[in-house]
Amino acid sequence: MKLTRRELLRGAAALGAAGAVPGALAGHAHAQTTQKRELVVAQGGDISKLDPHFSTSSNDIRVSFNIFDNLTSRHPDGKLYPGLATEWKLQGQTTWAFKLRQGVKWHNGDPFTSADAKFSIERTYDPSVKTMVATALSTIERIEAPDASTLLVHTKKPDPLLPGRLAFYGGQIVPKKYLDSVGPDTFNAKPVGTGPVRFVSWVKDDKLVLEANPDYWGGKPDFDRMIVRAIPETAPRIAALLKGELDIITQLPPDQEERVIGHASTRMVGALYAGIYVLGVNSKRPPLDNPLVKQALSLAIDREAIVKELWRGRGIVPSQPIAKGDNHFDPTLPPLAYNPKEARERLKKAGYKNEEISIETTVAYVSQDKAMSEAIAGMWKDVGVNVKVEVIEFSVRAQKNREKSFKGLWWGDPTSTLGDPDGMMWRLLGPGGPYDYWRETKFDELGNAARFSVDEKFRGEAYKEMTKIFLENFPWLPVIQPYEDYGLQKHVEWTPNPNQQFEIRRFNFKFRRA
Amino acid sequence: MRGFLPFIGHRLFRALIALWLVSTVVFVVMRLSGDPVPLLLPPDAPTSEITRVRHDLGLDRPLPVQYGVFLGNIVRGDFGRSIHFRQPAFTVVRGYLVATLELGLTAFVLATLVALPVGLLSAMKRNSLLDHAAMGVALIGQSAPTFFLGILFIMLLALKADLFPTSGRGDWRNLVLPALTLGAFTMASIARLTRSAVLEVLGADYIRTARAKGVAEVWVVAKHTLKNAAIPIVTITGLQFGTLLGGAVVTETVFSWPGIGRLAVQSIYNRDYPVVQCTVFLAALMFIVINFAIDLIYGFLDPRVRAH
Repeated sequence: MKLTRRELLRGAAALGAAGAVPGALAGHAHAQTTQKRELVVAQGGDISKLDPHFSTSSNDIRVSFNIFDNLTSRHPDGKLYPGLATEWKLQGQTTWAFKLRQGVKWHNGDPFTSADAKFSIERTYDPSVKTMVATALSTIERIEAPDASTLLVHTKKPDPLLPGRLAFYGGQIVPKKYLDSVGPDTFNAKPVGTGPVRFVSWVKDDKLVLEANPDYWGGKPDFDRMIVRAIPETAPRIAALLKGELDIITQLPPDQEERVIGHASTRMVGALYAGIYVLGVNSKRPPLDNPLVKQALSLAIDREAIVKELWRGRGIVPSQPIAKGDNHFDPTLPPLAYNPKEARERLKKAGYKNEEISIETTVAYVSQDKAMSEAIAGMWKDVGVNVKVEVIEFSVRAQKNREKSFKGLWWGDPTSTLGDPDGMMWRLLGPGGPYDYWRETKFDELGNAARFSVDEKFRGEAYKEMTKIFLENFPWLPVIQPYEDYGLQKHVEWTPNPNQQFEIRRFNFKFRRA
Repeated sequence: MRGFLPFIGHRLFRALIALWLVSTVVFVVMRLSGDPVPLLLPPDAPTSEITRVRHDLGLDRPLPVQYGVFLGNIVRGDFGRSIHFRQPAFTVVRGYLVATLELGLTAFVLATLVALPVGLLSAMKRNSLLDHAAMGVALIGQSAPTFFLGILFIMLLALKADLFPTSGRGDWRNLVLPALTLGAFTMASIARLTRSAVLEVLGADYIRTARAKGVAEVWVVAKHTLKNAAIPIVTITGLQFGTLLGGAVVTETVFSWPGIGRLAVQSIYNRDYPVVQCTVFLAALMFIVINFAIDLIYGFLDPRVRAH
């Protein structure tokens, strides 16, 4: 390190200037088109598993949704499109018939048939396989594969959302013959799918190498290789994008966006998250068992300020437990109100006696969780709530989640897996779900009835009623529906999916060519 | 060289004790940190499932039994299967270990190659401009946090000057910035120590004697000064290797370098006992081997050590 003091000072000054003026970091102007044959993506953590039925973590599904196909495919517009199934229809009340795509080959050359589809779906809830997605498709009773291109799925009760369920995790179709012959460990190490990219190699915590599937039924993607890197720290991840080493980065925090937007060769795209960041509430513990107290807590949160100050406007204030963009979202409801005066009155009415209310916050389990906790704690103190913020580590959160032992409030990011309240509000707040700390008979009856009804009008009414009950009881305190932002090179054309289903397919990705 | 074999034997025995203590501490601390099973299963898994997985992993056995099995397996070189990766722990760690060794040794060699001449020159030209400049930079190297240095290097040398890649593992160019970052503290420490060790020796009677009898300055430095100043330098160099392993956690995170530092931290969060145990054991082993080697060199350099 033969730096003189003067050189070091000069360097430090340059760093200061670079920090102050984002544009100054633009090394040299890059072309807005590219001849690259390699797509390089970086995310904040490495993948842990390649077997799609053994993980639901966002780092893993960003990869598995590209190596594998589902029977149905949910595009960024929120609609269902054909995947490995070309068409599907309901026969009677409880049988869904899928017509499967012909001539599709697995990455190892084996033909794809209905036996693979039957095997895959049954595998998810087979107790002896012990997958991580055992509950995703549990409405299914049995499956028949009468011929190579037909799949009949019988559900226990009418399940209008089955085609949607098959588009998300659990629904990735895996190869029966290959898996039977190599076993689950080898399959996890060297996966074979039908998707647009196939597995080449994976060096843990370094990079995953994939290559384009030339025979993909949806068309070969516009590159030869795709590399997925893990860059845990935000600053180096952004630096690598600005330098042109990467084409797409995930998890671009709001306070770093200017650097990406201000740079000559990069831009930002965002998708409104198909879900809501909430504070879960342990409604069994006094004083949180009192709906008036929870109403007061909600009224005391200045969500506008959180969106504006902490998120730089990259989010919206929720109005209900249904994410904007989902079926049965009620656009007539106003954003959740901020009214500290009313909050104080409800606390008084509730007979709140200064009992301690704790927020057990994680750091970066959901983006900005700790900062939001501190802001909310300040707002609550202003209306006279005795609030305490405690920081817990991820594994402690996982344990408390399992044991249902949170003391008061904690952060969660309910995801809408079906574009429908059944895949979020009911899946998570229903009996036995991870947020089962509060029960209301009417709410449960409606949730169950809506799940098994094929009458959309009835379902709509049910969710309206459930929303009303929710807004009196606040089993969650919805805080923000954020945008999920990505940094891109300008030569990349790509549309993100709101539900973290990161897909690189012809319908949403291409390189801009000269 | 009489007395050298017992010296080695004694050191070897102490090294083994140290390894055993380290393994035991890691075993106990990991089990105090909590249960890995809730992290493995989906949040809605039933209790029977938790019991089954706990049994499969052998976590339902009494702690002394688990400890006995653990020690027995280590002796056979078996660290158990990773709970998270579903592979033998050693297989998981091996890949990361190579990356850390590559980074650590480069940082170490770089640090030593720069620090020794700089320290020596600073001592010889005491209070010169060179001395002040070198020691000023060394002070910064010693006090700047690794995280800050890493980001600084990325911003200046990778992004602005476009000399090196920002992160990741690849060819030699990928190695420069993380090795500089990791080695900065060591480099600074060795340079400062070399300077003071040499200064001390330069003031000794035998140097004055050597100069008085007309020995050329080159020989005064090469033969008399360096050999005597080497004793504290060699000691601190060995100890610095431990600092390097510790610093690897931050450096590897900043540069997304797939090394054991990052693996250890992630495995602690995952409560992946076998991987943490294997990583710490191997890190301790490396540290002990290096210091064992240092002890030997020390013995060669200083006959008084052997006599003890």
